[in-house]
Amino acid sequence: MARNEITKSSTAEYFAKNLQQVGFSSPTKAVLTTLKEAVDNSLDACEEHGILPDLYVEIQKIGVGSSKNTDLVKVVVEDNGPGIEEKDLAKVYGEYLASSKFGKGQCSRGQQGIGISAATTWAQITNAKGVVVISKTKNMRKAIKAQVDVDIKSNTGVLKNKESLEWKKNHGVRVEFLMDGRIQLNGDGGLVTYMEGTVLLNPHLTVTFKLADNDKQTIERVANISPEIPESTLPHPHTFKLGEFITHATLFGKTSLSKFLKTGFSRVTDQPIKDFVKNGLPKNLLEKPITSLSQEEFKKVFTAVQNTELMAPSTKSVLTVGEESLSKSIARLGEIDFFAVVTRKPRICDFKPVVVEVALARFKNRNQEADGPVQLLRFANRVPLQFDKSGCAITWAIESVNWKSYGLQQPKDSLPTGPYVFAVSVVSPFIKFKNASKETIDASEELVAEIRLALIQAGQKLSRHINKEFKEADLERKLAHIEQFGPILVEKLAFLVGANEARRKRAEEGLKKILGRDSKELIGELEVATMKLTAQKAKDRKTMGEEEVETSSETAADLNESSGKENKPKGTKKK
Amino acid sequence: MATQSNGLLSIRNLKIDIPKEARILAERMLKDLENSKRPYLEAVKTSLDNSFYNSKVGYLTPGDKVVRTELNVSSVQKLARVVFILEILLRNLETSQINTKREIYYICKGLIKKGPKYKPLDFEDQDESDSIIDFVCDMLRVYREELNCFANDKGGQTYSQNLIVTETMADGTKATVDLSTLGTAPFMPKNKPQALKLKSKKKIDFALIVESEGTANTLVGMGFTRRNNCILMGAGGVPSNAVRGWCKLIQDELAIPMYFFGDLDAYTMQNIFRTLKAGSAASLIRNADFSAPDVKFLGVLPDDIKRYDLPFYKVKESDPAEARALKKAKDALENDPFFLDKKNKGVADICRWLLKEKVRCEQQSYFSVDPNDPIKTEKIILEKIKRGSYI
Repeated sequence: MARNEITKSSTAEYFAKNLQQVGFSSPTKAVLTTLKEAVDNSLDACEEHGILPDLYVEIQKIGVGSSKNTDLVKVVVEDNGPGIEEKDLAKVYGEYLASSKFGKGQCSRGQQGIGISAATTWAQITNAKGVVVISKTKNMRKAIKAQVDVDIKSNTGVLKNKESLEWKKNHGVRVEFLMDGRIQLNGDGGLVTYMEGTVLLNPHLTVTFKLADNDKQTIERVANISPEIPESTLPHPHTFKLGEFITHATLFGKTSLSKFLKTGFSRVTDQPIKDFVKNGLPKNLLEKPITSLSQEEFKKVFTAVQNTELMAPSTKSVLTVGEESLSKSIARLGEIDFFAVVTRKPRICDFKPVVVEVALARFKNRNQEADGPVQLLRFANRVPLQFDKSGCAITWAIESVNWKSYGLQQPKDSLPTGPYVFAVSVVSPFIKFKNASKETIDASEELVAEIRLALIQAGQKLSRHINKEFKEADLERKLAHIEQFGPILVEKLAFLVGANEARRKRAEEGLKKILGRDSKELIGELEVATMKLTAQKAKDRKTMGEEEVETSSETAADLNESSGKENKPKGTKKK
Repeated sequence: MATQSNGLLSIRNLKIDIPKEARILAERMLKDLENSKRPYLEAVKTSLDNSFYNSKVGYLTPGDKVVRTELNVSSVQKLARVVFILEILLRNLETSQINTKREIYYICKGLIKKGPKYKPLDFEDQDESDSIIDFVCDMLRVYREELNCFANDKGGQTYSQNLIVTETMADGTKATVDLSTLGTAPFMPKNKPQALKLKSKKKIDFALIVESEGTANTLVGMGFTRRNNCILMGAGGVPSNAVRGWCKLIQDELAIPMYFFGDLDAYTMQNIFRTLKAGSAASLIRNADFSAPDVKFLGVLPDDIKRYDLPFYKVKESDPAEARALKKAKDALENDPFFLDKKNKGVADICRWLLKEKVRCEQQSYFSVDPNDPIKTEKIILEKIKRGSYI
C-alpha cells in the first residue's frame, strides 16, 4: 500500500509553481513585472554606489510564444551601475531570497530577492532559457556574458555558456530575457505608464527606451545628485506580532534577552527595559539567553513590551524626492498646464516612518478624456504600482477627499474626473503590501489619513489655479453677456412701451452703469484669485530654494481650518 | 368650462388685461434702467414650499413666495429672453394667433435667424424656451392658454353610452356629440379652451378614469360601457391639462362619483393621482381649473394584493427612475401639503406602505385573477365600487 509521503520542496519550486503570486499572472503582467524587476535592480544598485543612472530599455515582440495567445517578447535592460561579480551572478538571477536588502530596514525598491529570480524562472519555463547577462565591474578588464538558469529543485542559479567579451562600458549590467508575453503599452498596466512613473519619481535618471513600435525616446535627468539612501533602521518593537517577535529572536543566537531587546529593535534602551519590568516583564528573564526562553516566557516579554509606551521610531530612514525635483521631473512627462506638488514631513504611521509625496498636474495635449477619471500613478518606495488599484491605501485616500471643494468633478466615493494626473508616492522602509507581487499598499487608517493630508494640501494649491481659471472664464462670459444681451433688453423694453430714442439712450446708459458695477466686482474677484495664486507660487519658490523637505507641520485640524468654510473638504469615509 | 371673448374662447373670466399688464411691467423696467436702478421681475414661486392645500378648496394653491430676478451680469440673458418671448406672445394675443410651445421655439429661431443681433438669445433646445414661457405665465399670473399657447392634445379618450356633449364654437354655432353614436371612436377633450355642456341620456352612475389608455380601451372593447351606465376614460399617464379640465367639468356638471384606477406605486400616487385630484406645484396658478378634487382612488389598493392574490414585484432601487419615485414619495410625505392633510390620510398611508414594502403592483395584474374570464377585471372594479373599497 502506497504511503503519502510528506515531502519538502525548495523555495524555487514553490515560486515556480506560484509565479502568479509575484506578478506573473498573465502574459501582459509578465512583461511588465520583468521590466520592473530589472529596472528596480539597476536603480537600487546605482543608488547604493552613488552612480547617476543611465538606463537603456528595449521591449520588442520577436515572434510567436510557445503558449497559447502569447508572443515571444524580448526584454532588455542595460545600466551603468557597479556591475556584478561573476561569483554573484548565479545568486542574483537564479536563486530565490538571495538578497542584500532583506529585512534591512532601508527604503530600497527591492526587498526580498524574489522578483528577478522569478523573471528568470518565467523565461525559463516559457522559453527554456533563463536570462542572458552581461556584467562588468570596474575591476574587470573584459565583461562576462553568461546565461543564468534557475535549478528549481535546489533553488540555486546555474551559469551556462559563459564567455568574456569586450564591452564599451566601464561598468554596468545588461540583462536580456526572451519570454512568452504580451505587450501592453497604455492604460493602468501599460509599459508607457510604467516608464512615465519611473521617470517622474527618479529625477536623477536618464533613460532611453524603445517600447515595441513606439519611437525610441530619451529622457534626460533633471537632478544631478544621486539620492542619498538613508541608513537602515532597526524595526520598532510595536510593529511586531508575537510569532514575528520570536522568529526575530532566533536571528540573534545565544544572546541575553536584554541585549536582544537593545540591539534587535529601535528605541529600546535601559530606561524602557526598566519600564518593561514595571509592566510585567519578569526581571529574572533579562539576563537569560533567549535560546532558553519558553514560549510562555516570550509571551510575557512580548506583552510587557507592547504595554509600554515607547518613543516613536526615527524618521531619518526615509527618503524623499522633494518638491523641487518633483516639480522639475513632472515637466518631463509632457507640457504642463499647471501643477501642485507636496512633500510631507516624514511621519510615523503604525509605528513605521513614512513619507508621502503628491504631485497633481494638468497637461496640455495628453489625450485624456475630460470626463474620465484622473490618471492615477501610485508609487511605493518609488516603484510604480499598476494593478489592483481599488484596494490600495492611496486610492482610498484619494476617494476620501472631497475634490469638488478644489474645483474638480468627482462622482460619489470615486476618483475625481478630468484631464489630470495624480501621482502619489509612499516611501517607507517597512511598507506593508497586500501581496508578494507588491501591487497594493495595505490600507491602515493612519496611513490613509496621512496620504489624505498630503492630497488635501496639494488640492488646496491646485484649487488656486482652478479658481483663477474659473474666475477668468466667468468674467469673460459675463462681460460678453453684458455686451450681447444688454442692448436687446433695452430695445425690446423700449419697443413694448413705445419709448422714444431719448428714453432708449438713457436706459442704455443706466444699464451700462449697473452692469459696469457688476463687472468691477468680478474683476476684483479675479484679482483676489490671481493674488492668491501668485502668493502660492512665491511660497513654492521659497520652499524649493531650501534644501530641506517641507517643514510644514500642519495637522488635519489645521488644514480643515485653513481651507476656509467654503473650501472645507467634507471627506466621505470609505465604507 | 370656457367663456367667450373677442371671438376666442377663454378658460375663465380673466380679470386682468394681459397686454396692458405687460406694458406696465415693461414701463417700470425701462424707468428703472433710465434711473440706473436694477429692474426686476417677480413670478409666483411654483414649488412645494409655496403650495397650500385646504381640503375644502380641494386643490393646491400658491402662497406668497415669489421668485425675484433682478438685473445683473448673470441674469441679463434671462431678462432679455423674457422680453423677447413676451413680445411674441403679446403679438399672438393681438392677432389671435395660437401656437404650441414647440412652434414658439421655432418662431424664436426664425426671428433670431432674420435678426443676427439676436443671435446670443438663441435657444439650444426647447426646454430653454419652455422655461421662459412658463416664467412669463407665472409672472403675469395667467394660464399659458390665456397667452394663446397650447400643448398637444394627450390622453382623455372617453367612452359612454349615455353622455351627450354640446360644444359652442367660437362663432357661436353649436355641435352636439352623442358619445354612443361614435362607434369605436372615443370623444377626446382638447388642450385648448372649449365651451362644453354635458348632459346624460339617463342617470350615469359613475365615471372611471383608467391610468392606462390601453386598459381603458380593453374594458370598453369587452363591453364595460354597454353593461354599465358610466363614463370611462383613459388618462394616458400623467393627466394633461385637457384631462384634468375635462374631469373637473364632469365633476361640476354631472356630480357623479369618480374613480381613478391605476398602478399601485409611488409614481402613480404622486404624479398621476395627486395631479388629477389636486393639481401640481408646477401649475399652482391654474390648479383651480385643472383638478377634480372629488376623484377617489379605486385601486390597486394594498389590500387588493392580498384579497385577489395579485402578482407584484419588488421595486428595483437600482433603477434610477424607481429610486427617484421612492425618494420623491418620501419627500412628498414630509413636505407635500396634499399628503400632509388629514383628509388624504388614506392616500398618504398607501405611500408609507409603498415606501416600507418597496413593492409595486400594476393595474393590469387584475387580469391574472381569472385568466379564463375576459371580464374579470370589470367584475372586480364593480365589486370594489359596490363594496366601497376605494380611498
